[in-house]
Amino acid sequence: MLIIGLVVAALAGFGFVHLVLERRNPIRYGVGSVAAVAGAAVTPIAMGQCGFALETTGVDHLLAYGLMAAGAWVALVVVRSFFERRDGITDDSEAFAGEIRSGGYRMGWWVPWVLLAPTLVILIVFLYTPAIQTFTLSTRLTRLGAPRSVDVCFGNFTELLVGEPWRLVAYPLVAIGLVYGARFWRTRTSFGTWSRRAADIASIGAAFSVFIALYAMFSPGGGGNVDFRSVYLVTVIISVGIVVVGMALGLAVAYLAYRSLRGGSVYRTLLIWPYAISPAVAGVLFFMIFDPTAGIFTHAMESWFGIDVPNYRESTLLAQTAIILASAWKILGYNILFYLAGFQSVSIDQVEAAVIDGASPWQRFLKVVWPGLSPITFFLLVTNLTYAFFEIYATIEFMTRGAPAGDTSVAIYEIIRVGVNNGDLGRGAAQSVLLFIAVIGVTLWQFRTSGRRVTYGGA
Amino acid sequence: MKRLLILLTILAMVAAACGDDSGTETTEAGDQPATTAADTQDPLEVPETTEGDGGGDVIDIDFWVAFSDEARLGFSEEKAAAFNAKHPEYNVEVTSFASYNDAFDAAVLAVDSGEPPEIIHFFEAATRQALDAVDASGNPIFKSVTEAIGGRSEILGEPVVLDDVVDAARNYYTVDGSFYSMPWNTSTTVMFNNMDILNAAGITEPPATWGEVEAACEAIAALADGPDACITWPNHSWFVEQSMGQQGELLANNDNGRSDRATEVFLTSDGMLNYINWWKGLSDAGYYTYTGLQRDWDGTSNAYLAEEVAMLIYSSSDTTFFDTNAGFTNQASYMPRNEDVDYVGNLIGGATLWMLDGMDAAQEDGALAFLNFFSNPENAAEWHQITGYIPITKTAEALLVDEGWYDESPNSKVASDQLADAANTPASLGALIGNFVGIRDVITGAIEDILVNDVDVAERLAQANEEANRSLTEYELLYGDG
Repeated sequence: MLIIGLVVAALAGFGFVHLVLERRNPIRYGVGSVAAVAGAAVTPIAMGQCGFALETTGVDHLLAYGLMAAGAWVALVVVRSFFERRDGITDDSEAFAGEIRSGGYRMGWWVPWVLLAPTLVILIVFLYTPAIQTFTLSTRLTRLGAPRSVDVCFGNFTELLVGEPWRLVAYPLVAIGLVYGARFWRTRTSFGTWSRRAADIASIGAAFSVFIALYAMFSPGGGGNVDFRSVYLVTVIISVGIVVVGMALGLAVAYLAYRSLRGGSVYRTLLIWPYAISPAVAGVLFFMIFDPTAGIFTHAMESWFGIDVPNYRESTLLAQTAIILASAWKILGYNILFYLAGFQSVSIDQVEAAVIDGASPWQRFLKVVWPGLSPITFFLLVTNLTYAFFEIYATIEFMTRGAPAGDTSVAIYEIIRVGVNNGDLGRGAAQSVLLFIAVIGVTLWQFRTSGRRVTYGGA
Repeated sequence: MKRLLILLTILAMVAAACGDDSGTETTEAGDQPATTAADTQDPLEVPETTEGDGGGDVIDIDFWVAFSDEARLGFSEEKAAAFNAKHPEYNVEVTSFASYNDAFDAAVLAVDSGEPPEIIHFFEAATRQALDAVDASGNPIFKSVTEAIGGRSEILGEPVVLDDVVDAARNYYTVDGSFYSMPWNTSTTVMFNNMDILNAAGITEPPATWGEVEAACEAIAALADGPDACITWPNHSWFVEQSMGQQGELLANNDNGRSDRATEVFLTSDGMLNYINWWKGLSDAGYYTYTGLQRDWDGTSNAYLAEEVAMLIYSSSDTTFFDTNAGFTNQASYMPRNEDVDYVGNLIGGATLWMLDGMDAAQEDGALAFLNFFSNPENAAEWHQITGYIPITKTAEALLVDEGWYDESPNSKVASDQLADAANTPASLGALIGNFVGIRDVITGAIEDILVNDVDVAERLAQANEEANRSLTEYELLYGDG
């Protein structure tokens, strides 16, 4: 089975050279094929071909092939850039690099490396080494202080995924097909027609189908396995909630606070304060407000209005809302800060021109201010999402501990629960690898979609 | 404008740096009510060598305590200081950790990096895990206290108190005929009753059985100005384990992991079904109030003190706290039992002090002397009085009787009495299971699902059983003899 994979990789390398490179010759075809085979062989060799062992399932094979394909792809990208550079084809970043090279550092090639060394050492010690260790751990069954560990190959991953390999192949293909289909349909329609509107709706539906496909690809639990679909769904709901609520409120408050009023600098500073609070403290604060026994809000509602506030931790909706509110509030100051700065980069001339043209305040906001804010919005989207993915463990720990029944247990909470509290390092590592892939995926998607619509002002 | 942007960015970065440390804590112990606002010291900040007051060579003994509250951490620090004053050649240095697991993980890592503490505080449910822990070269991390004492009756002038330890703790912690660790904070589950409410409902004695609890709750619900709910206790696996002990039901095979390593857990036994069904019934009737958080010691204790419930099943460790802080007549009683089966016995909870292996003779003697000093009759009695943990030695108990302490505060006697009434069987001793912390989480997770969502009890427990057994099988794969 490994051989099949390598043969396919060789053919793919051949085809890649044929399709991508402008200048082709037998040596280049050979280099492409060999590179693809070498790239594909890296992971099976590193993992001792365990993905193809006797007792493995179809999902294991699929993951093994997937890693081989990824290895081959990386190798081919390197091959392409190597040959394109030889052919004199460079893109902007290459030109930029060339410019830098032509400048300083005449003392020798090693000088920049020496200057970079402190940063590189820190990155290697605190970032790359732990990251590689996480990948290694994710293929093992191991615990802190255990006398031995067991190689489980892809076991930690396959148990998070649905059992049938065809689903893992079919669902993403269908989703990607829908996305590209909708995009293609949209290009065939023209602005303002009903078919464009239909195509827009189809595009949104297609984007949703990606979420649904991912949902269907995860394990529904049972047989001692974790219900990872639930973890995925909860993570999506809470992360999207935090980003949307946090950024919308941040923009609204910043818009109000931007007007010059007496003492403006004071209350602008006050608005930013919540950001200096740690996620744990945010959790405690909201706990003190909404707790059914000790909560201020609950007590006030009961004694003033006689309303019996339900325990937020026993309702999925309320628990998730509480987590979203607490987390969005904590990052609100950060969003306000950047939107306040962003407003200053919106061109006053354009706003004035819009006023003269008779645009209403709402139109001015929508057509002039909002597009002017797009770089800030894009930046905040990435940072807010990173925050929602990685930094709300403490808030959840203090407010719900995943209650009710795991409905506020987002991926990072689950990772720490499994990997640290239960000491199951392998499973924790496998889940954090998935989160790592998810963050890369979401960021790439943001760069591709939002990135195109971001305007950074004039030339 | 650009300058402002840069300034704001710097401000944001500074704020990010300030906001990043997310101090969190979880409490796993059976008997340790969660404490908030733990300012955990960094273990790395502990000085390894100290210049002693005497100027001579002072031997450092690092003592890692998993308490962070004023009373209990304060006691540890005070006794360490007293020991240092008495034995100036030693310096016992207390470091506080937010939880048992934090202390344990830090200790395992510290062993590998070559700077381990000498004594750590670790809880009963993780006894198997502590016995199994090894360093990088495969040697056990901890040394048996019995073996280190080697039959001596005093060390550096401190009388050895290990032989004097009360039976309940002795039986729980004796593994293969030896004490591996020195018992310290030891408690059991008791019920605290708001007698003002119970009396108003016409009930004169605290309910002793499940049926009596239901009857009392019915009477309390009929009160015109009664509390919203009737009873609560934390959704903590320790209470489940206690109920299994009461009903004589094993939680794991091989005599609860005491005749040989446990390789299977039983979460679908009759005793388990009885207990969870009773619990769910109370909850469905509106008698039991769930705070919505697993392992919620604070929330349940607050509900009782705020008189939102009339009864609280809790750890005896807070007896003194409730006696001091209750604004009503607080009476402690045995944990209610199932009247349909014969009572076997409640078990202990709490933690012991583990001594790390690899010390030289002088340091080891210092550590042993400190352990025995720490639980000498006067200290053990004082510890009991400020908390409610049982007096750990028979002499300490006798001392308290002589002082007339129990006449003064009869609630403090309930825990010791309940443990003395327990039969000495594997079921009532409690289980020694690998990965018990993870299995406990599986149990509380299932109970939360049962209480909050309307799921079938037997089915949900079967699912939990599968999950817990897989977790144990994997643990045994790593640590077992096979």
